Amino acid sequence: MLRNTRITLAAAAALLSTVAAHAEWLPERPVEFIVASGAGGGTDNFARTIQSIVTKHNLMEQPIVVLNKGSGSGAEAFIYAKANAGDPHKLIFGTNNVYLLPHVAKLAYTTEDLAPVAALALDEFLIWVKADSEYKDAKSLIEAAKANPGQIPFGGSQSKDTDETLVALIEQETGADFKYVPFNGGGEVGVQLAGGHIAANVNNPNENLGQWQGAAIRPLCVFSPERMAKGEPIQGDQGWSDIPTCSEAGLPIESYQMPRTVWAPAGLPEEALAFYSDLLKKVSETPEWKDYLAKTSQTGRFLAGSEFEDFIAKSQDNALKVFKAEGWLVQ
Amino acid sequence: MVIRRFHMELFVAGLTALAGAVTTFGSLELGVGWTESGPEPGYFPFYIGLLLAVLGLYNGAHAAIAKRGDAELFVEKRHAIRLARFGGPMAAFVVVTILLGLYVGTALYLFYVAWRQGGYRPLLSALIGVGFSLALFAVFELTFKVPLLKGPLEPLFGIY
Amino acid sequence: MGNFGLLLDGFQIALTPTHIAIMVIGVLLGLVVGVLPGLGAPNGVSLLIPLTFSMDPVSAIILLASMYWGALFGGSTTSILFNIPGEPSSVATTFDGYPMARGGQATRALTLAFMSAGTGALVGVIVITLLSSWAADFALRFGAPEYFAVYFLAFCAFIGMGSAWPGKTAVSLLLGLALSSVGMDTITGSLRLTFGLSELIGGISFLVVVIGLFGIGEILMTVQHGLKFRGVSSRVDLRDVFRTIAELPRYYLTLVRSCLVGAWMGITPGGPTAASFMSYGIARQWSRKGKVFGTGRPEGIVAPEAADHSAGTCAMLPMLALGVPSSATAAVMMGGLMIWGLTPGPMLFTTKPDFVWGLIASMYVANIVAVILVLATVPMFAALLRIPFAIIGPMIVAVCFVGAYTVSSATFDLWLVLAFGIVGYLFNKLDYPIAPLVLAMVLGHKAENAFHQSMILSDGSVLVFWSNPLVGTIMTLALALVILPQLVRLASRWKRDQAEPLGD
Repeated sequence: MLRNTRITLAAAAALLSTVAAHAEWLPERPVEFIVASGAGGGTDNFARTIQSIVTKHNLMEQPIVVLNKGSGSGAEAFIYAKANAGDPHKLIFGTNNVYLLPHVAKLAYTTEDLAPVAALALDEFLIWVKADSEYKDAKSLIEAAKANPGQIPFGGSQSKDTDETLVALIEQETGADFKYVPFNGGGEVGVQLAGGHIAANVNNPNENLGQWQGAAIRPLCVFSPERMAKGEPIQGDQGWSDIPTCSEAGLPIESYQMPRTVWAPAGLPEEALAFYSDLLKKVSETPEWKDYLAKTSQTGRFLAGSEFEDFIAKSQDNALKVFKAEGWLVQ
Repeated sequence: MVIRRFHMELFVAGLTALAGAVTTFGSLELGVGWTESGPEPGYFPFYIGLLLAVLGLYNGAHAAIAKRGDAELFVEKRHAIRLARFGGPMAAFVVVTILLGLYVGTALYLFYVAWRQGGYRPLLSALIGVGFSLALFAVFELTFKVPLLKGPLEPLFGIY
Repeated sequence: MGNFGLLLDGFQIALTPTHIAIMVIGVLLGLVVGVLPGLGAPNGVSLLIPLTFSMDPVSAIILLASMYWGALFGGSTTSILFNIPGEPSSVATTFDGYPMARGGQATRALTLAFMSAGTGALVGVIVITLLSSWAADFALRFGAPEYFAVYFLAFCAFIGMGSAWPGKTAVSLLLGLALSSVGMDTITGSLRLTFGLSELIGGISFLVVVIGLFGIGEILMTVQHGLKFRGVSSRVDLRDVFRTIAELPRYYLTLVRSCLVGAWMGITPGGPTAASFMSYGIARQWSRKGKVFGTGRPEGIVAPEAADHSAGTCAMLPMLALGVPSSATAAVMMGGLMIWGLTPGPMLFTTKPDFVWGLIASMYVANIVAVILVLATVPMFAALLRIPFAIIGPMIVAVCFVGAYTVSSATFDLWLVLAFGIVGYLFNKLDYPIAPLVLAMVLGHKAENAFHQSMILSDGSVLVFWSNPLVGTIMTLALALVILPQLVRLASRWKRDQAEPLGD
């Protein structure tokens, strides 16, 4: 019921925005963009890009204030949302950590404390190895890990976060056994791989682009249902679209993608929620947004309302299966 | 009662020992062992806490046995008065700030100290307080877009 | 020398009037954010990034980098004048900078700091110019064990010879380590020592603790000593500045050593904060007057400042060549780079030579611009100390709390500042050294992470720290720094005991 109203309202708002918006909710004071990562991180770039697009195209009268609350893997931002329940002047920027974090750590918030506004992009995950690595494809890496259980060091950023979940998923699906080593961030893992201190990582395209350009590392496959968008060649004649999908490469994982999501504190007026999802829809249609997606090699996908909620439910279920098998669940 | 340095040595040693004990107990639930993939999360905090507690007790015992600073006053009376006159408003500033926000807290605090302790005229003192507060607002809020803690009063002026 | 030709091209880009104007603006803005403890370089740089969208990348990075240099200089200013470090890397500058300023030589302290900082930065750029192709490869050799070894070396260099009562030094160090372990642990993902408080999930910010211990703690000491800064009566004029510059060559040994320490820590990449602590520790150990460090020794200012800036400058190299930001500011700048469509990485030097070498050339020019600008403003800053205490005292207190609040916009931090202010005062009165606590807070968790990663990689074998010549050398050096001074001390005590058996 509630969900239906929400969609209707969103649709209505979208319609009305072009006409004189008489019943439309508008922010009355500066809007805070709460970023669930530190300055310079992927989520930070995501939020600041949206900020600059909104400002440039004058999509909103009120100014935007960006605040980084990235500690505790982003938990700080989500707890802040809970403390500001019902406040329609705060948006929270995150990934899937919003709804996955409470399952693996005892935190003072639940997913119900945040209202989903929209997802704007999907960030891809790839398996990378060092350029001169003996593993020519995903299969041989998996076989090596089966032959030497717990010996092949696989790097990733943070613990029990998206990277380790993916590695655990690979292990569960293939029966391989890696040695997972957590680092502080994707950039760091990329350098550790280039230096040969770990055998592989599952970085996002953006985090490893420079190393690939420099021919220090190379990708094996991408966890996406279809190949990535065609673009300029990156290394030699190889470009993003030349990377096989992991299912092509023989890994039984069809897709593993990280959504870039926007949330609001739960309990905000329906009209406000509709306003923001409409605003983000407009952002996702600007050339600057397309530019951002191309530069960071992300897949553009605008999800709001029930579509977004279904996505969350599905992504959460998949992750919970992994968490359960690994024994990470706290509740 | 006169507070001597000796008493404070015991007090601070006890306090550090207590901090150590809290750390030790806090890490117990995390697992304090050593597994094949290295230390468990509580390993370092546990031993750090334990060592801290032991050293705190040692420092205390050392001070007690040596009667270190038994004859020495911790603070002279006139120093203590000065500290209280400065520290009191400072503590009040924190309380007022949490209730009314940093801008109002700062203005009141500067006003009070300049007026009561600096001996400036009330009007001038108020100007100093409000002026500094406005300067903070101009620099943080307007120029660098860093919001500071606001209380119930700012919204009345349309500032959020 | 291919690099030299490229550098000359770079100078042609950097030395245009527009770019020099951009540098001046950047440095001035940086000074402002650096001087205010609530704002830092990361803050300032992220605010400037939206303005750079329409600029060409070379001008944009020159603006951001100049702001970074300005902020580094500004951070030292508040360290020296008010004992409030504006940036984490200028904490070590407070140890001797503040006592010297309080002793009435604020101008001398500031000038020493700026001149050594400028020298450090220049050495850093020269290192970058000469080693750009080699250093990136070298940094790639650093895995988890090597990182741990570098942090361990910084610890040992600093702790090696403390002058305080060992029991109290250890307590201070352990307290810092305990504080640094609060919050979410990266390696295991578990929450530690939060006792159910949401405020502690992110850990206890090192900046908040430092503001409490140094800013508030010291102001309480000042109050006890008579409600005013002792520097008040001293005259401030430009002649002091020149006199101090003339004095600088006397510390050439400290300067050279500190610049090298900084360059090493910048490339390896231990970071500027670790570099400044390490350099200070080494200077204290090597100086015959090591015992009086902390009372306003010039070497105690020269060493951390030169190392800080040398490391900060050299750290640009791993950022450009490897995409590893060694500081929050560098992380923000990297974000900017990507927005402008540039990808940091090994190929940047080949695909965008005009960008890279324009930036490197601008670092030479901007640091000279920065030194001139800060020296010109020294009298202005030093004059701040002449404002009556009843006004400036509460202002400093207010700025401390504002600064602590901006770290993570939490009122909980305000209580922490007050609590650590009292701790700082008590520690000061009872001769507990504060520096080990700060060092432990800065490096404790990083060192623990690197240790833990090494253990995972080696299946729990400590021998991994001697598994290759690089890590083995650093570890052995670190242990030697701790053990040798103790042996020397034991030997001399033994000799003394032989001479006078009743010695206490």
